[in-house]
Amino acid sequence: MSDEHENKSGYQAQSSETIHAQSSEAITGSGSGIAPDMDYVRPAELPEQDLYHPHSFIEKWVFCQDAKVIGVQYFLTAVFTGIVGLILSWLMRLQLGFPGLAGFITAEHYYQFVTMHGMIMVVYFLTALFLGGFGNYLIPLMVGARDMVFPYVNMLSFWMFFVAVVVLMASFFVPGGPTGAGWTLYPPQTILEGTPGHGWGILLMLISLSLFVIGFTMGGLNYMITILQARTRGMTLMRMPLTVWGIFTATVLAMLAFPALLVSSIMMTLDKLLGTSFFMPTILKAGEVLEYGGGSPILFQHLFWFFGHPEVYIVALPAFGIVSDLISVHARKNIFGYRMMVWAIVGIGALSFFVWAHHMYVSGMNPWFGFFFASTTLIIAVPTAMKVYNWILTLWRGNIRINTVMLWCLGFIVTFVNGGITGIFLGNVSVDVPLSDTYFVVAHFHMVMGIAPLMVIMGAIYHWFPLVAGKMLNEKLGKWHFWITFLGAYSIYFPMHYLGFIGVPRRYYEMYDSPYMTSGVGLNEFISTAAFIVGAAQLFLVFNIIKTMKTGKKAEQNPWKANSLEWYTSTVPPEHGNFGDRLPVVHRWPYDYNVPGAEQDYLPQTAAPSEVAHTEVEKT
Amino acid sequence: MSDPNIEGFELEKGFKGMAKDTGSDQTMFKGVHWGKAMMWIFLLSDTFVFSCFLIAYMKGRSSTPAEWPNPSEVFALDAFGVPVPLLLIALMTFVLITSSGTMALAVKYGYEKNRKMCGYLILATALGGLTFVGMQAYEWSKLIHEGVRPWSNPFGAAQFGSFFFMITGFHGTHVSIGVIFLFIYCYKVFAGHYDKGKRGWFTKMKGDYVEVEILGLYWHFVDLVWVFIFAFFYLW
Amino acid sequence: MHVGIIFFLIILGSVLFHIFTPWYWTDIASNWQGMDDTITLTFWIGGGVFVAVCLFMIYCLFKFSYKEGRKVEYKPEDKKLEKILTWATTLGIAALLAPGLIIWNQYVNVPKNALEVDVMAWQWGWQYRLPGEDGKLGTTKVTNINDENPFGINVDDPFGRDDILVQSDYINLENNKPVKILLRSVDVLHNWYVPQFRSKMDAVPGIVTFYWFEPNKIGEYEVLCAEYCGVGHYAMRGGVEVQSTKDYNVWLSEQETFQDLIAKNETLEFEDNKLAKNNNINLKQDIYKEE
Ligand code: HEM
Ligand SMILES: [Cu+2]
Ligand SMILES: [Cu+2]
Repeated sequence: MSDEHENKSGYQAQSSETIHAQSSEAITGSGSGIAPDMDYVRPAELPEQDLYHPHSFIEKWVFCQDAKVIGVQYFLTAVFTGIVGLILSWLMRLQLGFPGLAGFITAEHYYQFVTMHGMIMVVYFLTALFLGGFGNYLIPLMVGARDMVFPYVNMLSFWMFFVAVVVLMASFFVPGGPTGAGWTLYPPQTILEGTPGHGWGILLMLISLSLFVIGFTMGGLNYMITILQARTRGMTLMRMPLTVWGIFTATVLAMLAFPALLVSSIMMTLDKLLGTSFFMPTILKAGEVLEYGGGSPILFQHLFWFFGHPEVYIVALPAFGIVSDLISVHARKNIFGYRMMVWAIVGIGALSFFVWAHHMYVSGMNPWFGFFFASTTLIIAVPTAMKVYNWILTLWRGNIRINTVMLWCLGFIVTFVNGGITGIFLGNVSVDVPLSDTYFVVAHFHMVMGIAPLMVIMGAIYHWFPLVAGKMLNEKLGKWHFWITFLGAYSIYFPMHYLGFIGVPRRYYEMYDSPYMTSGVGLNEFISTAAFIVGAAQLFLVFNIIKTMKTGKKAEQNPWKANSLEWYTSTVPPEHGNFGDRLPVVHRWPYDYNVPGAEQDYLPQTAAPSEVAHTEVEKT
Repeated sequence: MSDPNIEGFELEKGFKGMAKDTGSDQTMFKGVHWGKAMMWIFLLSDTFVFSCFLIAYMKGRSSTPAEWPNPSEVFALDAFGVPVPLLLIALMTFVLITSSGTMALAVKYGYEKNRKMCGYLILATALGGLTFVGMQAYEWSKLIHEGVRPWSNPFGAAQFGSFFFMITGFHGTHVSIGVIFLFIYCYKVFAGHYDKGKRGWFTKMKGDYVEVEILGLYWHFVDLVWVFIFAFFYLW
Repeated sequence: MHVGIIFFLIILGSVLFHIFTPWYWTDIASNWQGMDDTITLTFWIGGGVFVAVCLFMIYCLFKFSYKEGRKVEYKPEDKKLEKILTWATTLGIAALLAPGLIIWNQYVNVPKNALEVDVMAWQWGWQYRLPGEDGKLGTTKVTNINDENPFGINVDDPFGRDDILVQSDYINLENNKPVKILLRSVDVLHNWYVPQFRSKMDAVPGIVTFYWFEPNKIGEYEVLCAEYCGVGHYAMRGGVEVQSTKDYNVWLSEQETFQDLIAKNETLEFEDNKLAKNNNINLKQDIYKEE
């Protein structure tokens, strides 16, 4: 194995000399000739990353190590699961709105749909999409790295996720069908007769979840270390775009919360397979005492929600981050209160480990916990509210482009605030008592962690599509897509809260033999109809993408006139290595829009102080 | 990539300096190798896994209505006809901790580019790990012989066997994976991959002795976890 | 322009919907008026914030939509404003939390004179047990449950002998008399929930959970299971009838005690009647079809 061979096989011949080369020219800052001292940036601390370039189709598109390709792979796989989840939601709404119309939806099927829909949407769709999809694509670009720090492990992460999805989907085809235990998988019911899919279905679900956790851990390590240890020169922590902060904090949460899911999955698998009794007390079924005994069902709930609550923020925090960036770019104004935003993200993340039992107020746990968890839960509302204020204050005295991207952001604000407020109902112990386990809860979590993050995802797709594909999506189709989706989704979930007030419990296959609940029939028909329309409206996006790829306008280098580094790559779309020969050097935060005195309404992060000396830019 | 020696850069002193360096550009942990940082964070995550197991064990043990078996009787070993409590476990713990010592030395010799010593010490560590796994297998088979099963046991609460097999099994898996990697690294050290900077078979990353240290971190962690398991199962 | 108007209509629509909705909570029939009041309070404060935030957003859309060369404010931070907002929010949150915690404190402290009712749940049905003359419920064990002893009462427990057994999904309660619901389950999680009483709690196999309320309106109410418990979950209904003291006592005197049941079983056995009432567990079996 000689050096010669290595060169031929395409390694970038980088050695530790690079570090000297870079640091000797460090003082020249962005490299724009002879610059004064004010442009000084610390010398490079890291040598150039040693990248492995692909040599074959398979290495380039299948087992690819480039974070951008991995990001797209994650994205597409997650979207696939999302479509499955959407179809399941249609079938459920069909049953709820028009019971009996589709005769094949039996109660067993309904519960299987609920379970698979919930688990898919939360874990395989949103988590994978935000962290695996956006995380992989954006982190290296935004912090100015050539790739994730361990591309090989990153590649494994995706394929592990892929296998997890295959196992999950396989459960639709095994005897007994997928599990119908509810996405919370509460034992003892989960593994006992009486719950659909209590055999193969639940086993495959638990295996799939374990694989997901393992796969995610590999990816998460990459995201964290890339952000902590591989930023470009000048990219201090407080100069990172909020997207990166959101994804970073979410990843930390995931690394610490998924262990609880893994452990509870393992323990439940053993209960199922070996007949241990971790979660199984003495049980009498059909007149016979089962072989279980002495376990604690509530222990599972604690483990599950120790994962489950941070999971909510794993979905929400990246959405918070991304939406901050989108709003700032399209309002042409600096994000208001950046430092507050960062601390809010970190604070929410930290607090989210101390609120899990707010899902268990009426679970039979020691009722005194209620006081503690209600207080911590409502405390979280404060930093969350601060973030909302900062978003709308960013719009204040801005120069707001009301384009498709901004529309999705506005939709996010409305749905998120709405869902956040209903969260205060549910967090406040005694108010939760009448509402828990009713449709009020279903409406709340769909609004806050279903629709609101979805709005951000859509906005992000319209925003970054020109970067990923090099073409601009059609605005007109985009607006249709937005209005139908937003109005539809809002009219699904806003009225749904009131079903909860009547007292309709969640996870009810049908309801209308209860005299005082017949009033909900019309409402349910309306909700179902809206759900069908919203689902179908997603075809606008599909059509838009197809049309754009065929005939769309080619995107310029930085179509939105944004500041962050992903728009300053050597080519569009960026190639492997992202930034060509030279990594960018950063001199400012990414939010310098409309700086008084500047010729343009934006200052890229790479603009050196000497170049903008005549402006009133604040030191960042 | 080995620990970079950053030119023209000095850490600032004091708490303020620390805060400033932490938030400063490029790296948060100055001069820390990527792989090492990654291992630390992985271990943090793994700590949560083991904590969940042990907390579940505490909760399970305290809430099960049946009586918990007495560990010093269940785990006693017959030595020359006398049942000695904790004998086997003491040996296992001793072996594992010793292997941590040899691992630490291997890391030291690795950085001194002393290929031979490093290789032999890794080999010794691997053998220590193997002995540990062997003794654990012996203990399992002894318990199984006595009728302890994951779902029941003759001594008392069924959860005793469940937690015991699950947690020691999970830890044993960690040790076994460590042993496999130790053997691989042992081969790589002797073959001189780290001296030549030969690229990894899969990762295509340049070999470096820092990898020995990274594996060492894992090994010490597995060792530390054992101390907790030891305390919770055998001493409580 | 249009955008702002549409968003405005959405907010207006939401408020109007809330005011005129025909779908709202059922008339309360218990002492937990405080829960309803806290909900109303939360609606006022929370709804106010929602409307204010959205209106501010809409105002910005009207006022600051894109115009080439518009002068934009450049002010990354405003410490004072941020401080004011933080404290105002904290205050609002505290105002909501306080009543919530006070009511929770009432919820977890059961009055001394509450009547204990043992609610036993299984897949998929309910049955009830009331203390007899001694005012105490006998202890139970899941493994004791069989056809002769459907509640699994410990036969040696003297308190259990006079317990009143209601082997039906329906139970009667006395108006204006607090009840402490003691929940147990023989198989999986369930939850005994009557929307009109506002209160609920899971029944967890292996332990006994509780909550209390005081019915204060005579009438019949439906019991719903509010914790997912398998395919029959949605069909796991029962009923409560709240009666005046007089009617209640009449009903009570007609119920069978454990002692009666034992005696009856002995005669049945004597007649070797194999058609003895089977365990209720089979009653709802038809709901569950093997996949
Ligand atoms: C327009 C799209 C959607 C529709 C029409 C829809 C509809 C539904 C319906 C009908 C249920 C069952 C309610 C019940 O019977 O209790 C449900 C449950 C659920 N949905 Fe969605 N959903 C949608 C999108 C989402 C999204 C994006 C998420 C992601 C967070 C999500 C997460 C969940 C969860 C976690 C459950 C609970 C499952 C369970 O009870 O075990 N849904 N959804
Ligand atoms: Cu939560
Ligand atoms: Cu139920």
